Amino acid sequence: MLLKNAARQRNLKGIACALLTSSALVLPAPVAAQANKTGIDPETWTPEHVRSIAGKTTVDTAAECSKIVPLDYEGELDYWYVGPNEASPQLEHEMYEEFWAALAETYPNIEINAQNLGYNDMLNKLRTAALGNAAPDVARLPILWGSEFAAKRQLSELSPEDVGYDSDDFWPGAMKSVTLDGKTWGIPTNNETMAFIWNAGIFEEAGLDPDKAPDTWEEVVAYSKQIKEKTGKNGYGLVARVNAGNTPFRFMPMVWGEGGGALDEAADSPTYQETWIDSDGTRRAVQNYYDMYVRDKSVPVSALTNTQTENQDPFLANQLAMVIAHPSEYATMLDRASRATGSDKEAAMEVVNNMRYGKIPKGADRRAVVFGGSNVHIFNPDNIDGDLDMEAAKALICFMTGPEWSTKLAWVSSNPGNTRGFETEWMKERLDTIKFLDVSTSMLPSGIPFPPVAESPEIMNIIIPEMLQNALTEKMTVEEATADAERKIQSLLDGM
Amino acid sequence: MSRPHRSEPSSRGLIGQIIDHRWDYLYVLPALGVMMLVIAYPIYYTFYLSFFRTPPSLAMSEKIFNGFDNYATVLGSDSFQQVTWNTIVWTVWSTFFALILGLGAALVLNREFMGRGLLRGLLLIPFVISAVAASYIWRWIYHSDFGVLGAVLFDLGLIDGKLNLLDNIDMVLPSLIVVNVWKEFPFAMIMILAGLQTVPDQLLNAARVDGAGAFHRFWHVTLPHLKGVLIITVLLLFVQNLNHFIIPWIMTGGGPAGASDIWITQIYQIAFGRIRFGIASAYSVILFLVMVVIGYFYVKALTGDEDRQAH
Repeated sequence: MLLKNAARQRNLKGIACALLTSSALVLPAPVAAQANKTGIDPETWTPEHVRSIAGKTTVDTAAECSKIVPLDYEGELDYWYVGPNEASPQLEHEMYEEFWAALAETYPNIEINAQNLGYNDMLNKLRTAALGNAAPDVARLPILWGSEFAAKRQLSELSPEDVGYDSDDFWPGAMKSVTLDGKTWGIPTNNETMAFIWNAGIFEEAGLDPDKAPDTWEEVVAYSKQIKEKTGKNGYGLVARVNAGNTPFRFMPMVWGEGGGALDEAADSPTYQETWIDSDGTRRAVQNYYDMYVRDKSVPVSALTNTQTENQDPFLANQLAMVIAHPSEYATMLDRASRATGSDKEAAMEVVNNMRYGKIPKGADRRAVVFGGSNVHIFNPDNIDGDLDMEAAKALICFMTGPEWSTKLAWVSSNPGNTRGFETEWMKERLDTIKFLDVSTSMLPSGIPFPPVAESPEIMNIIIPEMLQNALTEKMTVEEATADAERKIQSLLDGM
Repeated sequence: MSRPHRSEPSSRGLIGQIIDHRWDYLYVLPALGVMMLVIAYPIYYTFYLSFFRTPPSLAMSEKIFNGFDNYATVLGSDSFQQVTWNTIVWTVWSTFFALILGLGAALVLNREFMGRGLLRGLLLIPFVISAVAASYIWRWIYHSDFGVLGAVLFDLGLIDGKLNLLDNIDMVLPSLIVVNVWKEFPFAMIMILAGLQTVPDQLLNAARVDGAGAFHRFWHVTLPHLKGVLIITVLLLFVQNLNHFIIPWIMTGGGPAGASDIWITQIYQIAFGRIRFGIASAYSVILFLVMVVIGYFYVKALTGDEDRQAH
């Protein structure tokens, strides 16, 4: 299968996958397994490689989409998405405005009723709307959410081929997230991995090498302790709030790195039927959290109620040394710093200048990161409000998932889901203007997608954060907390 | 078309009485229809759904009948005992302190003094402010790392480290109760103030002439007059607190480790976080039954008051 896929890859993935297929026999097992998950070889997908392929292709989006839906098509549809909010950099708002203007120019007779909903609100609203047969025609959802709607058959089948693209143009890991029961239920719009960000100034203050990130999770715990002891400032920006996407995105890389998992999503051939939560690997990860929060007190006390958004202020105020965040964090911090006034502005700009990006640390088993992003879906006609305008839906989806707009809409915060976007002039411009983008992009091959099962949101957003809170509040021991989580996940898999 | 007429009492049977009152029924029919649609049907559907298993992987149309299993799951779950205890603590203490504070404020505002109007306006602010906005403000006041309260206490030398209220399983519920009391004591104050203004001056003056001190006048004259208002206020506060969702949900989401989880946040979490509409419905039915019992006492208190007045 891998050989067959590799043979069909375009220029971009051809380089990487050819290397992968030829080297799979000699690569160390974790690397080969990792390549299996994403389709890209982590050894070759380096910042240099990403830069070398950018700017090689030009794209005419209108011409590509006109082959699917005529440009004079008249129609109307409802579209929900998680778009930029008040915390997003200005540039992201501008890109979305440009997108809507370009779409209106290309398809002037399609009326789109778009609703930008917040990450924390949209899932529940969509669940309720779908149950009440009032879902929108089209929705762009974070990668974790689609499986639940697909499992309930509230989505229509949709694959890249339906809008004129090739499934091989998308990351295999991302395609896996829209595949259930052998059918495809959506198209990836953007994919990203987070990066490890640190404040070189605080590192120096604490006697650490300012330009060297901790390479392992063990080092993160040790650095965090040293920073707290030497400077009084918080070391690592730990977050463990329940029902917030932030928590699993920051904790699961550590779990996978240490050899654990929620289900067996980190296995070479995951079945999503086994639980790995009560394993040595997961216990090591929970123990790391416990050591930082309870033993060393080297992280924010408010970690149990905080999300990463609340960590931005202390980071910018030079009071927090290390965080895991999106590729857009630099642009966000720069934006916030430029809005500060007086001496605050000077101090904030100094922190921004001291920001460094590195790969997510590795654990005893591997280096891993959540393969994140979003997918676009068309809802089942039975679950939407009114009639589904399939042609209008395809026009919108073709436009947004093409190489041009999947790159531009991901400008500061992500990467194009359509990997042809990596070859465009816009990708080159991004790499030239967005600091550290190449670092976070080079982490993509280390990405592991959350399990594409209907139970994923509950496991990741509730059971795992609860496990952390049980251990961090000492309501349970680390062993009891992982055993409790195992019992809950098992009961979920048993269909309770 | 015949004109509607005021019905006279009739000695006819039930059918006859209905016929006599046909116009009255017609007048309330639209309101009844709306109530059936928005109240009765959801209640019926919640009861119905409580007998089905609805795992997240199944569409609602594929739900599986499982009898009373959902009730057994709720009552037998590890968290039920903790959540129920939290709910009792939250409801009883919120009601008690809001009533005491409201009573005190009402007694003060019932006296004439300069600036009374301004003070009354100021004390009403927590009540009129949006609960969502108030929750966010208090979340920052309490914030374990950068909270205003912790900073002030630290500057005053009253604490020597961080003030951990929301991230501490022992302190979180009392801290939320403080916010809730702050938010709802003006309601009790207004209710009691209205009641105080019905206490006859003659009785108070007579008691004063008879040598009764301030405490005795309050205890033997004012309080008996407030009895009805106090009962209604307690019941309304109790119901309101039992159903209060916004403050615990926004400030802590029921955490940490379930330490501030109460019935209503738990129901929401089960329904919309865990997509178990069947279990959430069973939980809701249990809460509904508790509310029915309280509602019975509420109606009894109301009608009892009317009955007393009628006699």
